[in-house]
Amino acid sequence: MLKTLRDPSEKVLAWLLLTPAFLLIALIVIYPVGKLIYNSFFDLRLSGGANLGQFVGWLNYQDVLKDADFWHATQNTLWITLITVPGALLVGLGLALLANLPFQRKWPVRLALLLPWALPLSFCGLIFAWFFNTDYGIVNDVLRRLGQQETTMWLLRPNWAFAAICLTIIWKTSSFMALILLAGLQMIPRSLYEAAEVDGATRWQQFWQITLPLLMPSIVVALIFRTLTALQTFDIPYTMTKGGPGNSTETLAMLIHKTTIDYLDLGYGSTLAVFMFLISMAVTAVYLRRVGQTA
Amino acid sequence: MKRRTLTQWLSAAVVVAGLSGQAALADTKIRVFSGGQNQRPDLMRKLFDAYQAQNPGTTIEIETGGATSELQRQYLSTVLNAKDTAIDIYMIDIVNPSQYFNAGWLEPLDSYVGGAAALKPYLPVYSQANLVNGKVAALPAFADAMFMYYRKDLLEKHGVKEPKTWDELTAAAKKITEAEKNPSLQGLSIQGAPIEGAVCTFLLPYWSQGKQFNDANGKLTLDKEAATKGLDMWLKMVDAGVLKKNIAEVTTPVTVNEFKAGQVVFAINWGFAWDVFKDAADSQVKGKVGVMPLPAVAGGKSATCVGGWQWAVSAFSKNKPAAAQLVKYMSTPEASKFLAREGSLLPVFQSVYTDADVLKQAPWFKDAANVIIAGQARPISSQYGQVSDVVRTNTNAALARTKTPTEAVNDIEGRLNRVMR
Repeated sequence: MLKTLRDPSEKVLAWLLLTPAFLLIALIVIYPVGKLIYNSFFDLRLSGGANLGQFVGWLNYQDVLKDADFWHATQNTLWITLITVPGALLVGLGLALLANLPFQRKWPVRLALLLPWALPLSFCGLIFAWFFNTDYGIVNDVLRRLGQQETTMWLLRPNWAFAAICLTIIWKTSSFMALILLAGLQMIPRSLYEAAEVDGATRWQQFWQITLPLLMPSIVVALIFRTLTALQTFDIPYTMTKGGPGNSTETLAMLIHKTTIDYLDLGYGSTLAVFMFLISMAVTAVYLRRVGQTA
Repeated sequence: MKRRTLTQWLSAAVVVAGLSGQAALADTKIRVFSGGQNQRPDLMRKLFDAYQAQNPGTTIEIETGGATSELQRQYLSTVLNAKDTAIDIYMIDIVNPSQYFNAGWLEPLDSYVGGAAALKPYLPVYSQANLVNGKVAALPAFADAMFMYYRKDLLEKHGVKEPKTWDELTAAAKKITEAEKNPSLQGLSIQGAPIEGAVCTFLLPYWSQGKQFNDANGKLTLDKEAATKGLDMWLKMVDAGVLKKNIAEVTTPVTVNEFKAGQVVFAINWGFAWDVFKDAADSQVKGKVGVMPLPAVAGGKSATCVGGWQWAVSAFSKNKPAAAQLVKYMSTPEASKFLAREGSLLPVFQSVYTDADVLKQAPWFKDAANVIIAGQARPISSQYGQVSDVVRTNTNAALARTKTPTEAVNDIEGRLNRVMR
C-alpha cells in the first residue's frame, strides 16, 4: 500500500484525478463567493449613477447596518427559523416514529412521507396561498360551512400571514426531517428494546432512555440542514405573500433578491448577501461546537 | 486506451466545429423575447412569418415568458446582466427603456433608423418614453392604457348614466349592487396586490386631482395631501362596500376573471382585457361590456395610466443590423394595424385609430386615442424598479390597512426623495 503511494506515477495520477473535482469546486463555490465579497465593496448600481464601478470601501456595510429594512427582514428570517425548525423537528419526529411502526405494508406510509418533500417549494407556496385565499380558499370555505360569517383575510393580516407561512414551511419540511430521523431510528438495534422490556421499562422510558439518545446524531444533522435552509427562506413567502402586506413578511433572501434583481443594485445586494453568509456561518459554528461536545 | 480516447475526442471536436460552421453559413437566426401571453406572441409569430417570407435566409425564433411585467423584468434583468448573447430582440414594458438603456443593455438605434426624428410619427407618450438621453432606445410595438370597463346591460337596466366622477361611480355601483341583491356582485374591481398594477392604483386618483408625481427631469413632486386623499378614497369605497374587503389581494388576472364571470359592475384594467371579455369562450359578459375613460375627482380631470410595449435590440446581440431591421419592420403602421385588427392591441400611431378596417373590429378605438393622449406615463426613471416597488408595497399596505394612508404616503416620499432627484 505504502509502496504504491510513493510510486511517482501513481502520485501524479492521484493529482490528475483530483484536479477536475478541485476545479469544479473552485468554479462553483470559491469563485462566486469570492466575487460576491469583492462586489460588496463597489458601487454597482446598474441603473445609472455616475459612480458605477467605483470602489466604496466599507460604505455598503455601514448602509446595511443603518437599513431598517435589513433589520426587519433579518428579524423575520430569525423568527421563521426559530418557529419552523423546532416545529418541523417535532412533526418530523412524530412522522418518523409512525413510519417506523411495524406495518404490514411499509410503502404507503413512506410514500406519504416523501410527497411533500418531492414537491417544489414554489408549488407548495402557491398551493397554500390558494388554501388561505379570502374568497376562494378552502380554509375560509370550511369556516363558512361551520357557520362563521365574518371570515379572516389570512394573508392580509401581518400576524396571520406570518403564521400561515410558518405552517406551510413546517408542512413542507417535516418530511425531510422525518426521512433523516427514520434512517436513524432503523439503526437502533432491536435488542436494546427487548432488554429494556425484560427489565420492565415502560414505552415512555424506552423512548427517553433509548430512542432519543441514540437518535441524537441524526437529529443534529437534520437540524443543521434545516436551520441553514430556514435562514435562506425565499420561495414560500415569495409565492404566498410576496412579502406583503406591505413588506411585513419579507425575509432576508427576499430583500437580497429585490435589491439585486428589481433595484439592480448589485453592490448593496452583495453586501446583504455577505451578511446572510455571516449569519449562516455563525449558526453553523454554534451547532458544530455543540456536536463536538456531545460526540 | 489513452490514444483511442484522444482520437475520439478529436474527431468529435472536428464534427462539432464543422456543424457550427455550416449553420453560420446557412442563415441569420434572430431570437426574440416577446413577453407573456398578454403580449400576444401568437400574433407576433404571424408578423415574423411574413417577415421571413420577405427575407429568405432569416429565421426568427420566439421566446415567451413572464405572465406579468415584474416577472418579465426580473427575468430580463438576469439575462441582460449576464450579457447573454442568445437573445437579439426584447419586447419591454414602457417603464423599462430608460432603466435598461442607462444600464448599457440596449443598442442605440439611431444609426439604423436615422436619428431621433424616427420617433416623431408615434403618439407623444411613446416617442418620449423611448428617447433616452437624446438616443433612440427602442421602437414602440403597441400601446396600452387603463380603461374603465362596465356592464352596459346593468347600467341600462337600472337607469344609470356613465359616471364622470369617482363619487358618481360610487353612487352608481351602490345603486346597482343593492338593487341586484347578488352578494357576490362587486361594485368596482381594482388591483391592490403588490404588483405593477398597484402603481397605477396609487396614481389614478392622485393624477385625477390634477397633481403630478414627477417633473420633466424626473424629480419627485409628490403632493402628500392629494396622495393621502387618493388612498383614502379607495378605503372609503371599501367601507361603502363598493370595493371588496380583500382588495389588497386582487391582481390583474383576478379582476379580469371576476369581471368575465359577471361578478363585477365596474372594472379598471388594461386594454388587452377588452378582447378577453368580448371573445373568451367562457366569458359570461359577451356583448354586455362598455368602455369609458376613467372618472376624475369632482372638479379634477380624467387621467389614465399609460402602458404599452416596445421592441429593443440587445447591446449583446451578434446580429445587430439584422435585428434592427426586424424591429423597424415590427413598428411600422402596417404592423400596428395588423395587431389592432387581429388582437385589439392599441395602435401607437394616431392614424391607425381612425382606420376604417380597425374601427370595424373595435369601434371603441375612436375614443381610445384621446384617452391615451391624455394619459400619463408612470414616472420615467432609471431607477424604476425601486420606484415601482416602493409605490406598490406602500399602496398594498394601505389597502390592507397595515399602514394608514398618511404613513404610506410619508414612506413613499421618504424613500423616493433619495431616488428621484
